[in-house]
Amino acid sequence: MEFSDLIRTGRAQAKLLRGPEAPPLRGTLCLTGHHLLLSPGPQATSELWLLLLRSVDSIEKRVASDSGTITLRCKDLRVLQLEIEGVEASLDIARSIEALSSLESVITSFPFFYRPKGLRLGDAWHFHPPERYYKRVARETNAWRLSEVNEDFSVCPSYPRAVIVPRSVDDGALARSARFRQGGRFPVLSYHHAPSGTVLVRSSQPLTGPQKRRCAEDEELLRAVLAGARPGARGFIVDTRSSQAAKQARMTGGGTEAKTAYPGWKRLHRPLERGQPLQESFVRLVEACGDPQQSTDSWLCRLEGCCWLAHVKEALSTACLAAQGMEREGACILVHGAEGTDSTLLVTSLAQLILDPLSRTMAGFQELVEREWIQAGHPFQLRCAHSAFSHARPKHEAPTFLLFLDCVWQLGRQFPLSLEFGEGLLLALFEHAYASPFGTFLCNSEKERCLCEVRTRTHSLWSGLNQPKEQRKLRNPLYAPNPLAIWPSVELQSLRLWQGLFLRWIRPPEPSEVAWEKVWQIVTDKEKTKLSQPTVSASEPQL
Amino acid sequence: MSLLRGLLGMELIETSVRLFLDFQEKLASLDSALILDVPLGVISRIEKMGGATSRGENSYGLDITCKDMRNLRFALKQEGHSRRDMFDILTRYAFPLAHSLPIFAFLNEEKFNVDGWTVYNPVEEYRRQGLPNHHWRITFINKCYELCDTYPALLVVPYRASDDDLRRVATFRSRNRIPVLSWIHPENKTVIVRCSQPLVGMSGKRNKDDEKYLDVIRETNRQISKLTIYDARPNVNAVANKATGGGYESDDAYHNAELFFLDIHNIHVMRESLKKVKDIVYPNVEESHWLSSLESTHWLEHIKLVLTGAIQVADKVSSGKSSVLVHCSDGWDRTAQLTSLAMLMLDSFYRSIEGFEILVQKEWISFGHKFASRIGHGDKNHADADRSPIFLQFIDCVWQMSKQFPTAFEFNERFLITILDHLYSCRFGTFLYNCESARERQKVTERTVSLWSLINSNKDKFKNPFYTKEINRVLYPVASMRHLELWVNYYIRWNPRIKQQQPNPVEQRYVELLALRDEYIQRLEELQLAGSAKLAEPSTSPAGPSPMMPHVHTHF
Repeated sequence: MEFSDLIRTGRAQAKLLRGPEAPPLRGTLCLTGHHLLLSPGPQATSELWLLLLRSVDSIEKRVASDSGTITLRCKDLRVLQLEIEGVEASLDIARSIEALSSLESVITSFPFFYRPKGLRLGDAWHFHPPERYYKRVARETNAWRLSEVNEDFSVCPSYPRAVIVPRSVDDGALARSARFRQGGRFPVLSYHHAPSGTVLVRSSQPLTGPQKRRCAEDEELLRAVLAGARPGARGFIVDTRSSQAAKQARMTGGGTEAKTAYPGWKRLHRPLERGQPLQESFVRLVEACGDPQQSTDSWLCRLEGCCWLAHVKEALSTACLAAQGMEREGACILVHGAEGTDSTLLVTSLAQLILDPLSRTMAGFQELVEREWIQAGHPFQLRCAHSAFSHARPKHEAPTFLLFLDCVWQLGRQFPLSLEFGEGLLLALFEHAYASPFGTFLCNSEKERCLCEVRTRTHSLWSGLNQPKEQRKLRNPLYAPNPLAIWPSVELQSLRLWQGLFLRWIRPPEPSEVAWEKVWQIVTDKEKTKLSQPTVSASEPQL
Repeated sequence: MSLLRGLLGMELIETSVRLFLDFQEKLASLDSALILDVPLGVISRIEKMGGATSRGENSYGLDITCKDMRNLRFALKQEGHSRRDMFDILTRYAFPLAHSLPIFAFLNEEKFNVDGWTVYNPVEEYRRQGLPNHHWRITFINKCYELCDTYPALLVVPYRASDDDLRRVATFRSRNRIPVLSWIHPENKTVIVRCSQPLVGMSGKRNKDDEKYLDVIRETNRQISKLTIYDARPNVNAVANKATGGGYESDDAYHNAELFFLDIHNIHVMRESLKKVKDIVYPNVEESHWLSSLESTHWLEHIKLVLTGAIQVADKVSSGKSSVLVHCSDGWDRTAQLTSLAMLMLDSFYRSIEGFEILVQKEWISFGHKFASRIGHGDKNHADADRSPIFLQFIDCVWQMSKQFPTAFEFNERFLITILDHLYSCRFGTFLYNCESARERQKVTERTVSLWSLINSNKDKFKNPFYTKEINRVLYPVASMRHLELWVNYYIRWNPRIKQQQPNPVEQRYVELLALRDEYIQRLEELQLAGSAKLAEPSTSPAGPSPMMPHVHTHF
């Protein structure tokens, strides 16, 4: 298939409106396979305006007698309006954008064509493999080993090639345990908490089914988890479904760990919303934020009706529960829901941020996202196919990753000094998860990424972000390493709507960005003062 | 915290200052002693609960309602009748006025190395604004508070209005509060003028002198065809006020003025709204429908209306479109909120610590916001309808602004909370009495200490490390409900679950940053000195301007 087949009209004269704050742009509109460009013409001073077609979430067209208006709602929640000369041209362009923005094929997507200056293909892709995390674990304990049982993705298609498992369990047992877990996601190490010697483990639900099947190897695996921590250690299984839902899952072949089969483990149910209800909550929230007719006196009721903050609260408090179990009770924690690719990862990654100071650094957080989301098999392509504006009925879309970012933002707000990165990084991750010139968030699993040769044919977002010129936007100037666990207050009174994301295009970006810039200035001034000192002393003799 | 159980081993140290309770909290998880520190001035109401016949561990004791959003309940043992003594002593010292005792500020012998009473000098402040000038003069007509007993001694009025004119205007304004200047724009010379409502009454009385006087104010700016009048009240309230002799400026009588209503409600509505806020945050925080309960208090909506009104005032003046006259009914509640907030938006001087102190001292204290009545200092009548959290609401608006402009204010959140704490504490004379004349009669500045003495002698504690001084920047906060939030650190600060997580490291880091800033500024001055010395001697450095000059300029 050629892109040119989908481009009905390549260019037209247009005016672009980018919200109340930015001035409108006029010029020639061009459509390419991956971008929408607006060239302001030779005499204009403003720069070329560019939009990745992939980031268009929904498109709406209206025609008048001799022109058309296209409203583009983007995945990063921006709303753009194009006024195009000529009815035919505008309809053609609208249809072309529609077709090009929803192409399913991964290998024709823009990351496979993006070749930015200053970056080399293959860089940064090997920054954060599980092998690297294993090196850290091996320094702290020898109860765990790196297994390559999933070398060819046959044991678990959504796991990476290498996973960290109890040393005493051999690969054969792992493979058999995998057959007892949905999608083959047998329990693997997520995080080793060195101060208490306990571990955070994640998996999918066991396939107990209506017959209450058991699996000796799976039981052995979880026994080994406890034994590896210390003799007689206890464990908690945090099931992210209600006990009712977990019971019902048995009818379709799933289920929960039976008490008798797993001595030492205690099951706790902490239902977290996932899938469609979560997506709907996101859609409602974005709708409420962007509603110009919103009568202001019922804003808080409407915000409450969206339930988004309630989901933030639930996610944070479940993560706190898991973290508390490890830090305060000295217990091992296994987290799973059904598939173990959504709310499970939400809980394990947040628990690590609470407990592990290293994960709160710039590099550590990137590693956490890579290890606990991308490599752990969160299906980004399915979940982020559409953002909040799509009219299509959601199939697999769910803003689980956004919920994670929001929770991290809440942590950052409550602990303004403890995260090395700032809101800028979280916003960048949100944007790139939904539409990106980089390959990092492509596909649903390592297996798919291998098949598409993502690592060799696209650039990694991390190398894009870690360029020096990006740092000021992404880092927290106030960061001071904090060796302690950071326990957030999860009460609704302590949580805020993430204005920087949800109201980003509604509120003028000024003062907060200006403020951020000033804080940077104040903090970095010390170094500059130091640098300028020798200049002064050197010039003094001349005076 | 609401229910302090098991007061075994409680020691009640009572001074006339504050109530200290020092006892071992019996919860197993807390080993440290819990110390409760309540200035007696904060107490609004003391009640006995339970009688001689009551059973149960916590049913007998004292219930203390505070003005700062908390209630304290002490369960006492019935033996020994200690409760009556405690009740009597507490009542005596918490409500000294009812017992012919002096308010604590008059007994306070604290010494500070700076004198906060010298912070505000009206002549200096008006001179800073460039007054007097061709159009505005300073008058001492109210020197003995004869023209208006709730106004300050020194007033700024149009040059063309004689003292006799002022006296005639005073007869037509509620409580003689005539229109006087609050602030003048340094460039376009439009002004903010404040006053009380005109005494129009049911019959629609007119007063030629008042009409002429407003026109004189308009004419201080030749190019302006209309004077803008902002009546802070809702339209209906303004109409209703005619029944009691008040009212508003009608189009017929004031041809050259345009009147707008700002829909801000009166002191009673605000008091009830805050009461609802207290109900949802204390003793237990409303859990299940937090946001909708918060909305039903309407507190944030009132904040929004006050801010919106102030933005309109500031915008009119800053754009040079028109001078503005602000009033409500008596001109000491909503009017003070609007003028002071607009001034804060317009004039960066008021965003410094001393500037803010001057703003409060000028627009609130000297212009007769009735602190004594609104707060009820030392008065036991807790249900007094005159009480209202108008000043708190103003401080809340300032906090909202500081949230939206994190680098625009020299002071931090602690500064605002400290002001509110001492609004009630009666430790300082700053917020005592209703007006300047009463303060003068009581010799407050001689006999009490100023709150600004405490603050200015330890300024670093109250500084915002991110403050960047900017002259001439007008701040327009976003006054939409989406951008306002409940000031949790103030209203819910007594709830241990909401407690800020790690205040110490944050403060520590801020202190470091402050030190950094000072160091840098000092360094910069040195560099500039070095640079200018160099430029002054071109013969010795022919190489041209100093290499670090461009570097220096990039920062400021």
